[in-house]
Amino acid sequence: MKQLFRQRLTTHLKEMMRYLRLVFNDYFVLALLFVIGGLGYYYSNALKQLHTGLWWAPILIIGILLVSVQLGRFATLIEAPDYVFLLPREAELYQYLKSGFKYSLSIAVAIQVLFWILVMPFIQVTMHPMAIDLYLLLATLVILKMTWLNTDFARKYHLKRNWLSNRPLFRWLVPVITFAFSIYVNYWSGLVVSVVALAVSYFSRNQWATRSLDWTTMIADENSRMHTVYQFFNLFTDVPTLQGSVKRRRYVDVILNQIKLIPKNTYLYLYAHGIVRDNEMSGLYVRLLVIGTLFLVFVKGEILPIFLSLLFVYLIGFQMIPFYFHFSDNAFVHVYPVTNEYQLKSFQRVLLYLLTTVGVVFAVAVAAVNFTTIITIIGVIVGEALEIWAFVYLYLPRRLAKSERVR
Amino acid sequence: MTLQVSNLVGGYSQVPVLKDVSFDVKDGELVGLIGLNGAGKSTTINHIIGLLTPFKGSIKINGTGLNDDVKKYKEQIAYIPEQPIVYKELTLKEHLEMTMLAYNLDQDESWKRAHKLLKLFRLDNKLDWFPDNFSKGMRQKVMIVCAFLTNAKLFIIDEPFLGLDPLAVNDLLNLISERKKQGASILMSTHVLDTAQRYCDRFVLLHDGQVRTEGTIEELRQLFPDAGDSLNDIYLTLAREGDAS
Repeated sequence: MKQLFRQRLTTHLKEMMRYLRLVFNDYFVLALLFVIGGLGYYYSNALKQLHTGLWWAPILIIGILLVSVQLGRFATLIEAPDYVFLLPREAELYQYLKSGFKYSLSIAVAIQVLFWILVMPFIQVTMHPMAIDLYLLLATLVILKMTWLNTDFARKYHLKRNWLSNRPLFRWLVPVITFAFSIYVNYWSGLVVSVVALAVSYFSRNQWATRSLDWTTMIADENSRMHTVYQFFNLFTDVPTLQGSVKRRRYVDVILNQIKLIPKNTYLYLYAHGIVRDNEMSGLYVRLLVIGTLFLVFVKGEILPIFLSLLFVYLIGFQMIPFYFHFSDNAFVHVYPVTNEYQLKSFQRVLLYLLTTVGVVFAVAVAAVNFTTIITIIGVIVGEALEIWAFVYLYLPRRLAKSERVR
Repeated sequence: MTLQVSNLVGGYSQVPVLKDVSFDVKDGELVGLIGLNGAGKSTTINHIIGLLTPFKGSIKINGTGLNDDVKKYKEQIAYIPEQPIVYKELTLKEHLEMTMLAYNLDQDESWKRAHKLLKLFRLDNKLDWFPDNFSKGMRQKVMIVCAFLTNAKLFIIDEPFLGLDPLAVNDLLNLISERKKQGASILMSTHVLDTAQRYCDRFVLLHDGQVRTEGTIEELRQLFPDAGDSLNDIYLTLAREGDAS
């Protein structure tokens, strides 16, 4: 059973690596360095203006630590067919799940350490703790995370005492109480509270480890975890396993109804309706648009806004490309008496609309913030216009031709 | 006595779908679980294989309850789901190996049996294919081959006849009767009533989460003398009566 987990983990890590390579491509790493550098600079400046005795500082610390404890979920790597194929081995699945627990814990602990390093300077400045206190806090954080994960472990079983898998209790209430002890009383007391919580949760293992598994919950939990992971990757690349859900979005009908119902517009009709209603596509578009606009609102300078707006227009356009093939699995489009030449033209038109909207929003945001530097505003507008034209009419046809050959 | 379901009350959420269901399956017996859509057939089966926990009542296989000894309970079961469910990333051969691993079967002997079964269901040339790409009927055959590879004492088969070709249905029925002779018990849910009538030893008629009646076809005929001879007629009469009351 441990073997099985190791095997699954290898496949899983391979898949994750494949996606991570796509996510951390050169452009993204560059953008990321910019963001991290900027935020770090901002953080260190902000710290200089702080001092001890701020009433809101402890609350903020507790809030950040609470968020930290929520990160890192229990990865079981269970698949739906397991409940049929592994049915006779259910009793041994405890060993399998324990391996999963260890793996999940190692990742979760890494996240906790990262957050701990991040808040450490803030705590230093606002609370003036001793060095040992900070280590006690880290221990508390890790122990709470262990309790958190153990609750999720217990959830996979048909329990006699349901409170052992009570998520709000072990995920929120216990951590809030513990951190309150740590920050407001002293760090030792917080550690003691967390150790008690962990002991209660661990001793219960004997009680449920021999009971029957709750396959339905286990499979649903793992699917929801993987869905979150894929959704993240889908921001950067096309994830085939992610089947988008669909929303009606009646309010866009005003725009969609402008499309004339003539054969030439068959694909235009399909693409326009598809992109608007497909949650993955429209979600991606809106998310990136909002993130980009926020960046442009907060960033000041002469060149940086131009660079950022161009980067985001490219990112958004790039995300939309795979949708060109969205309907190629549908038998209807192959049966329609419509020639393919309109397919590209229609897709280009849809992209032109989408990217122009982005361009206008960005330009307005830049103009509103940097209204004194005319040169930046003009740079953004001209740059975007050139970029969108080149993207839609030069880059897109070539890129699609290349993908078509691979298919 | 292989399977003993007593006073089972259960369902998915707080609202019980099954209301006090009791029946049994003896050694070497094929029992048909008959009912309309939504009568509670699959819910009953989900309780037996341990996907759901009973609100009340008990389920025992050869005297062992699920939470008495999970290992002993589960080792005795082979299950064929209504919707065939396969691993996306495993080939047919690997599915069989997975089954052998899970049930701790002897490799050489199992492969001999596997080849026979594969030939029977005309899958023998597809060992390196991915069942995920098969048609529903073929995936169903994969599930059947995997289940009959085992030496389970209790076979639980959820609606096997939909999607299978007539030849495969016939072969499946032969496999079932062969296992019956060796002493295994089989619980099969279905609403293909004429096939059920010909092959099942006994019937449990579920309606609206309750066992309306159970027995052999002769016993049922005596209970409903006016309904007609076939299981079909008897069940239709019973279902209409149930709706009227």
